[in-house]
Amino acid sequence: MSTDAANLLVGASTDFLRNFSPFNRMEAEALGFLAERAVLAFHARGSDILTPEMGVPRYFYIVQRGKVQARQTGAAVVTEYASLSLGPGECFPIGAISARRPSTNAYVAVEDSFCFQISADDFLHLMQISPVFHLFCTQYIASLLNQSRQQLQTTFAQRAADQQTMTTTLGKLIKKEPVFVAADTPTRAALERMNDLRLGCMVVVDEDRRPVGIVTQSDLLPRVILAGFELARPIGELMTANPHQLPATASAYDAALEMATHGVRHLLVVDPDGILKGVVSERDLFSLQRISLRQIRAGIENAANIEALQRASKDIRQLALNLIAQGIGAEQLTQFISALNDALTRRIIVLAREQHDLIGIDFGWFAFGSEGRHEQTLSTDQDNGIVFRTVEGVPVGEARQRLLAFARKVNEDLAACGFPLCRGNIMASNPDLCLTLEEWKSRFGDWIREPDPQALLNASIFFDFRVLYGNERFGDQLRSWLNRSVKGNTAFLRMMAANALKVLPPLGRIRDFVLEDDGTIDLKKSGARLFVDVARILALRIGVNSSSTVQRLREAGAKIGVSPEETAAIVDGFNFIQLLRLRSQHLETEHEAADDNRVTPESLNELDRRILKEAFRQARKLQLRLKLDYQL
Amino acid sequence: MSWLSRLKTARGSAQPLSPQAERTLRAWHALPEAALDRPHFESRYVVVNTEATGLDLERDRLLAVGAVGVDGGLLHSPDAFYAPLEPAPAEALAGLLGLTGKNPLVVFNASFNRTLLERAFQTQLAFTPSFVWLDLYFLLPSLFPEKLARPARLGDWMAAFGIETFQRHHALGDAWAIAQLFLAVQARALSFAVGTPAALADHQHAFRRKLKV
Repeated sequence: MSTDAANLLVGASTDFLRNFSPFNRMEAEALGFLAERAVLAFHARGSDILTPEMGVPRYFYIVQRGKVQARQTGAAVVTEYASLSLGPGECFPIGAISARRPSTNAYVAVEDSFCFQISADDFLHLMQISPVFHLFCTQYIASLLNQSRQQLQTTFAQRAADQQTMTTTLGKLIKKEPVFVAADTPTRAALERMNDLRLGCMVVVDEDRRPVGIVTQSDLLPRVILAGFELARPIGELMTANPHQLPATASAYDAALEMATHGVRHLLVVDPDGILKGVVSERDLFSLQRISLRQIRAGIENAANIEALQRASKDIRQLALNLIAQGIGAEQLTQFISALNDALTRRIIVLAREQHDLIGIDFGWFAFGSEGRHEQTLSTDQDNGIVFRTVEGVPVGEARQRLLAFARKVNEDLAACGFPLCRGNIMASNPDLCLTLEEWKSRFGDWIREPDPQALLNASIFFDFRVLYGNERFGDQLRSWLNRSVKGNTAFLRMMAANALKVLPPLGRIRDFVLEDDGTIDLKKSGARLFVDVARILALRIGVNSSSTVQRLREAGAKIGVSPEETAAIVDGFNFIQLLRLRSQHLETEHEAADDNRVTPESLNELDRRILKEAFRQARKLQLRLKLDYQL
Repeated sequence: MSWLSRLKTARGSAQPLSPQAERTLRAWHALPEAALDRPHFESRYVVVNTEATGLDLERDRLLAVGAVGVDGGLLHSPDAFYAPLEPAPAEALAGLLGLTGKNPLVVFNASFNRTLLERAFQTQLAFTPSFVWLDLYFLLPSLFPEKLARPARLGDWMAAFGIETFQRHHALGDAWAIAQLFLAVQARALSFAVGTPAALADHQHAFRRKLKV
């Protein structure tokens, strides 16, 4: 009879939960599980329900009645809200309990409140048995991802703010308090002061601090030394009167124009009353040169030599920084970088072509690996090759020799522009990688027929090819041939899958992350690559033509019945890891670190760590899928 | 075994107790007395509530009993009991004792509920189990004077706390509401250093003396 009573009460809890999302959409069995496991507790107004100090949360809470406030604790605000009120039907903590780490928020009852709670184990079980609840939690974490991106953007916006534009007002440009003297100051004293402070000029003002004249370093030779000017005389006799002035509201552009017009290197900045605010020099304006996508492209396309392209290559890095600051996501960012690198590479090829005789040769320049996937980061070395055919009776062997000489030049020039030579010699100047279409097919065919470890490694690099320059039909033909050859070959795909599963996401059982010996996580090897490898296998299995990981995941996901939300979560995870890589590469540019794919988890903020963990979970999910599909 | 022979004598020709109910009663008698000096979070209380034909103790009869356990400050749905007295009142009351054990009981309005229940125990089971009875009718106004300073009806307290239940005037429905009120009582009592069942009982007596009831 007491089971009847229990059913009544469980039913009452169920009815309550059904009033709220996501519980109203939850599967009956899962909701029953939740209602049965949920215990009700009271939290007096002002009492802590969960704080970061309590460690890994033991319970998941659903507010039944009252109001609970989530407050950010610690120095850094990691989400967009400083505090957030939770009412009936709302639950917490999702991120912390999923990631099994202390909450970043303190949850405090701001009214007398009742909360249902279930144990952390029951929470995880619920995630497992309820796709609806699972989705709800992943979407919540995805929204955290967004917040993290915004936060990242803020960080970069601050850096970008340092590089101001030509529209910056002069008032903002002035960094130092102006130094000035009165007109009756002895010249020696004024010049000594200039020398001590290492100033390029000295401003002379009247008693109201209005500029009346200026003496610059370039005046000294003709007017002082050569003219034998008596240094005891007042500086008023030496100065250039009526110096050029601009209001503080004028732009850097105005200043540049004024300097160019009058041929001066210094301008005095004054407030509306004509009082001296500071000095702007030509050098101050130089640092404002703004880099835009269009300018870089134009710069690349008009480049006549490698020196010009080297400058463009530096600009690409700078632009990437600006783009992050403007809030662009990893996917678009890598596409931009990829597009500009493509343009740069094409220009290098065009310049090299002018010096090499390639008449009678129809060819395509292959990009492999991350370049082939449009996923270049800022420290990718070259992976390229050539596919060709001869026309007008040119012998293949001769054509190959000409192409190799040309390719060597391109490889060298690419290296000069910041794409290091490939250590594994995966470069077009390698005779093994300068092949006709039939030769490529036969090479790929060998790997598929005999998938030894080296063949599988090769497949993981070369199968991500695309034609970057030249005849794109070669790429299309090779792709459709490859897809046809692999599609029916389950044994090969299974080997690829087994190979892809050799590296596991660095998620720890006890600690959050499994670290390398040096205490870092390799975001490439045990992060991005996990997604890339699975995406490649799915793409081959399903016949996706794109070489981009995200595109592969989206197309394959739709075909193998992964929900769009789940795919989005996987893509988010991948993009987040890519963004972290780009960010660390950016922050490393000051001191050219050798291996900038490594990140120390402690150096990440709480939110990023949580999201990184979730991203690795997505990788694990993806791997699990592969494991099931190929029964590994 | 005196309670058993008394029970059998008392029941006379009435339907014999089921083996299960007999086992439950035997187990109840064998239980040690509840420790009353443990903090709330280590104590189990049981909220009991009744449904009767009316509110007149002289005339009205007990119809059903409901109970909800409050263990360690938590309300857990499966820890509940509900049974109508008919057709087997002794079975129902034995079942109730199975859930309560010898833990302190929490009621709203003991003068009615306790009297009704003890009378039923005596009639049906031929003994009156001894419990610590805690009465929210007094504990609530003494601990939450800012809400209602005088003893008030259950409905008023539910409104004061915004508490709802799935079915009013149902033994278990009201017990569910009373149990939620008791969660609040425990938290507030603790802030007054009234941290154990024994301390709650003392607090209740002191308040009643003050009210002179």
